[in-house]
Amino acid sequence: MWILAIKAMLADRAKLATSLFGVAFAVVLVNLQGGLLLGLIEKASLLVDYGQADIWVGRRYTNNVDVGSWIPERWIQRIRKVDGVERAEPYLVSYSEARLANGSFEPVIVVGSEPASLLGNAWSMAQGDARAVRHPDGILVDSCDAEKLGHCRVGDTLEINGRRAKVVGLTDGIVGFSTNPYVFTTLERARRQYVTGLTPEYCSFFLVKARPGTNPRALAARIQREVPHLDVYDRQTYSRMCMEYWLTRTGIGMSFGLATFLGLLVGLAVVGQTLYASVTERVKEFATLKALGAADQCVGQFVLAQALGNAGLGSALGLAISLAIGWLVNSPRAPINWTWWIGALSVLLTTGVCLLAAWLPYVRIRRLDPATVLRG
Amino acid sequence: MIAPNLAILARGVCKEFGSGPQRTPVLQGAGLGIARGEVVFLVGPSGSGKTTLLSILGCILTPDGGSVQVLNQEVAQLRPAELAAFRQRHLGYVFQTFNLFPTLSALDNVALAATMRGVALPTARAQAERLLEQVGLSRQGRLRPGQLSTGGCQRVAVARGLVNDPAILFADEPTASLDAANGQAVMELLTRLVKAHGVTLVVVTHDSRILSFANRILHLEHGRLIRATQPGEAAQRATLESVA
Ligand SMILES: Nc1ncnc2c1ncn2[C@@H]1O[C@H](COP(=O)(O)OP(=O)(O)O)[C@@H](O)[C@H]1O
Ligand SMILES: [Mg+2]
Repeated sequence: MWILAIKAMLADRAKLATSLFGVAFAVVLVNLQGGLLLGLIEKASLLVDYGQADIWVGRRYTNNVDVGSWIPERWIQRIRKVDGVERAEPYLVSYSEARLANGSFEPVIVVGSEPASLLGNAWSMAQGDARAVRHPDGILVDSCDAEKLGHCRVGDTLEINGRRAKVVGLTDGIVGFSTNPYVFTTLERARRQYVTGLTPEYCSFFLVKARPGTNPRALAARIQREVPHLDVYDRQTYSRMCMEYWLTRTGIGMSFGLATFLGLLVGLAVVGQTLYASVTERVKEFATLKALGAADQCVGQFVLAQALGNAGLGSALGLAISLAIGWLVNSPRAPINWTWWIGALSVLLTTGVCLLAAWLPYVRIRRLDPATVLRG
Repeated sequence: MIAPNLAILARGVCKEFGSGPQRTPVLQGAGLGIARGEVVFLVGPSGSGKTTLLSILGCILTPDGGSVQVLNQEVAQLRPAELAAFRQRHLGYVFQTFNLFPTLSALDNVALAATMRGVALPTARAQAERLLEQVGLSRQGRLRPGQLSTGGCQRVAVARGLVNDPAILFADEPTASLDAANGQAVMELLTRLVKAHGVTLVVVTHDSRILSFANRILHLEHGRLIRATQPGEAAQRATLESVA
């Protein structure tokens, strides 16, 4: 029965095309909008997610990694003593200013890591070696930001905070949410040359690597006991906090969410409308089934099979298109972070709407008088 | 009063459509009996209520009054779901407009009626294939209704009407959309098949060219069956000519 229902659905190419288009459209919309929002908001915690530290320790209420505040570096001794800590290193993240050759200024975020371990340094390079930050005046900027920084190339010199800085490598896709270029360098150089108004013994964070097999949450709690006046978070928690910071502070979550929701509404309305129409147009066929003595659940099966067939085919098409578009337009500036649960959500939503759109006319079909088929 | 060899027994069947000033009584006490295996034609002028009566006898339409027994079952006693099951099990139909599924092949159209009874698709298709062969369409099973001639569609409709081995087959104007030669061919086919399958056939028509296929002709006028004749009897010629 349901095979014939699917066959009947597939054979009607014109109607099939419109309803598949509607379903695929809705699925693509959810995936791209959702993927874009996720990709965008994950940039807020880029340093945390890829910085390789298991635990982040910072001053109270430092809930955005790009805006660090100052803590005395010597407190790190207390953390190094904690059981389960393999190493703990100071880290600096601070706003500064780059002056370009043409005389203009560009705000930058200086990221200084401890030179021996380079814990928290750039992790993905487009050109050069990340360890080159150890060279005199060495800095790394992102290849996407090179344009903002006067089309700088490896070997060029910039002026940061009035001091000489030499580009020794270009990172690959390390672009933060704030859009201000990251400038990776060593801790000492960051402190002494590239950031103003800072006492030498201060830094912004302590990055902790846990000993293998240590539970990060439990370790964070142990560290917290040693430094009760600082905030201590495991990587996952701190990453989420950084994302929430931008989501709630900027209203981007709200506006993006609203735009997605409205777009989705349009997409789902298209799905609902086309499916509703296709069932309504077939009322005569369903009346025939009833006149021939088909039970209600038999007619229901027929409608259900067609709705699910539409949802399934359309979703597969939509997912394929989403993957293709994602692959085409994905870039570090507008990354599309396509995760399985966004895909699953899009399929669930559209399937739900397909079922609803088929159920409404089905109620009408149930009440339909089979005698109508005998009237020409 | 139940006779076991009666396929249909109807008494005092009344039906009216509309309400208030638009109220039109269509059937006003129609009564008839049809024996098992009989081929009966219902004739009458256009608008006389032939289709309405056929729908009531075919258990698709509920009468306002009177009693209808089909295969010794008092139809009024059945609830809607039971009535649907009864139609599916015992009755077959060839609708005036065929009502085939335009997006299904001839074979699948016939098989669909069989799968509705819960028959598995391969079995249903085998049954459908056998019936398409009997109506002379074994080569055109893959074609859709739109790719078949009107006569071809009518044959598919006949095959569908018979696929569930009904006791009674109802056909509404089966030759109305066919030319004379095709009409004769379809009627020959229908009467041959119902004989072979032991099916009772009730045909509504106002096509005088096919009356010779009937065992008995019932004349409907003013909402009543006014007389029964045999094919070839002079009485019905006049009645039917007044229609045209
Ligand atoms: N569902 C309906 N609603 C209103 N009037 C109807 C309906 N069905 C049939 N009629 C009317 O009943 C009369 C008989 O119709 P029908 O049984 O189709 O006649 P026939 O088949 O003999 O041409 C016609 O006048 C028709 O307009
Ligand atoms: Mg009629």
